[in-house]
Amino acid sequence: MAKLTKKDLDRIKDAHKDDGKNWIKVGMSTCGIAAGADKVYEDFVEEIKKRKLDIQVKKCGCQGMCYSEPSVEVRVKGLPDVIYGKVDKEGVLKILDKHVCGNMLVKDAIYELRTKR
Amino acid sequence: MDEKVIFLKDTSADADRTRDFYASFLNALRECGLEDKVQVVRVADIGIYNRGLVVKFADKDIVYVNVEEKDIKNIVAQTVKEGKVIEKFLFKDEPKQLRIVLRNCGEINPENIDEYIAKDGYRALCKVVSDYKPEDVIEELKKSGLRGRGGAGFPTWMKWKFTRQTPETQKYVICNADEGDPGAYMDRGVLEGDPHSVIEGLIIAGYAIGASKGYFYVRAEYPLAVERVEKALKQAYDYGFLGKNIFDSDFSFDIDIRLGAGAFVCGEETALIASIEGKRGTPRPRPPYPSVKGLWDKPTSINNVETLANIAPIILKGGQWYASIGTEKSKGTKVFALTGKVKNSGLVEVPMGITLREIVFDIGGGMLSDKGIKAIQTGGPSGGVIPKEYLDTPVDYENLQKLGSIMGSGGMIVMDEDDCMVDIAKFYLGFCVDESCGKCVPCRIGGYQMLSILNKITESQGQIEDLDKLKRIALAMQKASLCALGQTAANPVISTIKYFEEEYRDHIVNKKCRSHKCKHLVNYNVIQDRCKRCKVCVINCPVNAISGDKEKGFFVDPKVCVRCGKCFEVCKFNAIAKE
Amino acid sequence: MTENTKNMQEEIANLVEKWKGKEGNLIMILHELQNYYGYIPRPAALELSRALETPLARIYEVITFYNFFKLSPPGKHTIALCMGTACYLKGAPVLLNEIKNLLNVEEGQTTKDGLFQLDVVRCLGCCGLAPVIKIDEKVYGKVQKSQVMGILSEYGNHNQEG
Repeated sequence: MAKLTKKDLDRIKDAHKDDGKNWIKVGMSTCGIAAGADKVYEDFVEEIKKRKLDIQVKKCGCQGMCYSEPSVEVRVKGLPDVIYGKVDKEGVLKILDKHVCGNMLVKDAIYELRTKR
Repeated sequence: MDEKVIFLKDTSADADRTRDFYASFLNALRECGLEDKVQVVRVADIGIYNRGLVVKFADKDIVYVNVEEKDIKNIVAQTVKEGKVIEKFLFKDEPKQLRIVLRNCGEINPENIDEYIAKDGYRALCKVVSDYKPEDVIEELKKSGLRGRGGAGFPTWMKWKFTRQTPETQKYVICNADEGDPGAYMDRGVLEGDPHSVIEGLIIAGYAIGASKGYFYVRAEYPLAVERVEKALKQAYDYGFLGKNIFDSDFSFDIDIRLGAGAFVCGEETALIASIEGKRGTPRPRPPYPSVKGLWDKPTSINNVETLANIAPIILKGGQWYASIGTEKSKGTKVFALTGKVKNSGLVEVPMGITLREIVFDIGGGMLSDKGIKAIQTGGPSGGVIPKEYLDTPVDYENLQKLGSIMGSGGMIVMDEDDCMVDIAKFYLGFCVDESCGKCVPCRIGGYQMLSILNKITESQGQIEDLDKLKRIALAMQKASLCALGQTAANPVISTIKYFEEEYRDHIVNKKCRSHKCKHLVNYNVIQDRCKRCKVCVINCPVNAISGDKEKGFFVDPKVCVRCGKCFEVCKFNAIAKE
Repeated sequence: MTENTKNMQEEIANLVEKWKGKEGNLIMILHELQNYYGYIPRPAALELSRALETPLARIYEVITFYNFFKLSPPGKHTIALCMGTACYLKGAPVLLNEIKNLLNVEEGQTTKDGLFQLDVVRCLGCCGLAPVIKIDEKVYGKVQKSQVMGILSEYGNHNQEG
């Protein structure tokens, strides 16, 4: 592959600008995976495919909240970004049913509020 | 237009009444006709602790604390409906954490280099190789005041300068990712969450000291970290950030991975070098320091994962920016692995100078159970315990050292009244004895002897002279051991004796362990009031130490009892007491 | 057997070829050998000594120094019990005893039926989930004594007498 220049760095940065799309991020470090994050990731991918939802599922590293793994950050337009903790299959369904499709945050499952950064 | 969202959480120490408050909020909203316009959400953790009911208004960035049931109507009427702020509940919600090292962890996909670049990744490298002389890089680091995050806190710029100064054409840089401290996983978090940040730091280090080759020395016990670093290196090669003429400059640089194989001593610089050379990881006397004679006798700079992850932000934002964070002598932030008996265990990154209390209670959410905090251990097997009296100490290199502990790599373990300090000392010392490479006598024999004394004490055979013996051997180990492992191995023992001598005396003189951890010092007894005479303990006792009958009750014979604790476990009526 | 020996020779020749010219390659080669065999068999060490033109003593010196390298074949499933500080405080010693009792095996040993190998390891890096047991690649967090038997039984029936 051709070597990148400073311009390429700018180009890639631009391409990754926040496009306002909705996404779900699953923390996939050792502790997350140990608590079942890979299953959670698969469940999300499968359910979203099944329901033909327009939301992207991403992987990320450790959010630092080991006590509440597996943790999942959700961005849905119009709602504040939140991190759900201790997510299991039931949690996956709730997040999709309520948060993603119903525009309602899931109760008693949020472990961190991502305020404006 | 963002939907209005209100977050609720009752953070009082006693019963959680979030549900009651939630109902009141819904009622109040209904009365104002706002129930369809505002979403009220109960959350599991709101990031603020011990301040009663906490209410966050997502759209306004307002936080109320210590809200009472009777206030809710008022709050809905004024703040929600009218948008007026009620001063008396207002809480200044300043984030306690500051993420520099962990800036991308949990944000980006660590396996996608483009996401790192989108977060200004490799821009510092580009800036350095195009506009900076190597000396300028070192100068910027000097301004930043960054000190090595591996434990000892040696200024990074000095290390780089010494290595640069040594006249030699071939030089090396090494990233020490052999995180061996039991109970610490900061480096794993960074390598798994943002490997490129460390790689970029290592390349810049190579440029600054004039090295053309770098090594990643990673623990083999972290397979996921190894995998992500391997992938990241390949991507960096593909994009030309590694290899020949980086960003069309004269600078060329290569990185190889070497796996550790489970030896704590390999965290020591000279032992680590021996291990990369494919030998046993035994340390050698310093000087000569690795900056003069390191890997294959060439000048070498070894930096810890966290140190390297700090480099790119320092270059981009300037040394002065970094130096504005932290205390006079300890700049920037530190990542801690907060674990043990704390509610929210996890990785935290805080500015230097924050107090231990803030870390444990404001970030960690306080203790896991209702048992009180007893001490905090920092620095792992080379560190010491800090008793609760010193919780308000600002955390920096000097302060922790003054208290008899060290910053170390960042393990922070919270202990409560259930933890026996003699047992903790024994645990850490046992670790060092296991991990001693055996090359020098003070460490090999001294550690072993101290451990036998501690064993004696916990097995009720201790004598009061043992305390002095422990101190004397500890001193010999500190003074005469070859490397840091031996020099610091006695620290957990010394610091527990310093702060908890009473507890040692209890073990030795009264033959008592107040935490009931040392099984030879625990006596089991039947609490007659609670005993239902079901005989389950009698049947389960493997040595028939419990005798008696239904009339007189049952008794444990301490002479026969082997302290296995079976009776305690099987009793359904909590009628067995540990004393 | 000759077939096996021949394979081993080829395998090691390949490995040495791959790492030839890279300084300090011994530990990396040992890692790959262990990945392949599960431990470092003596014939492999002998063969390696020949291929690298390094004294056998030098190779064993390194193998025995590092905790990671094993000299005997592991059990079918490896139980790694974490004894890092966080796990220690939260009851790892109790779990260790329970496993020892259930499987009738000591640390570093394999059960007689070869089903389990019990290793006590330093920090697995999941302190937030303490106490932790890892069986093969699967990690079990916040394990309680009462769960141990259930977890072990996922891996087949252990034969006490076997």
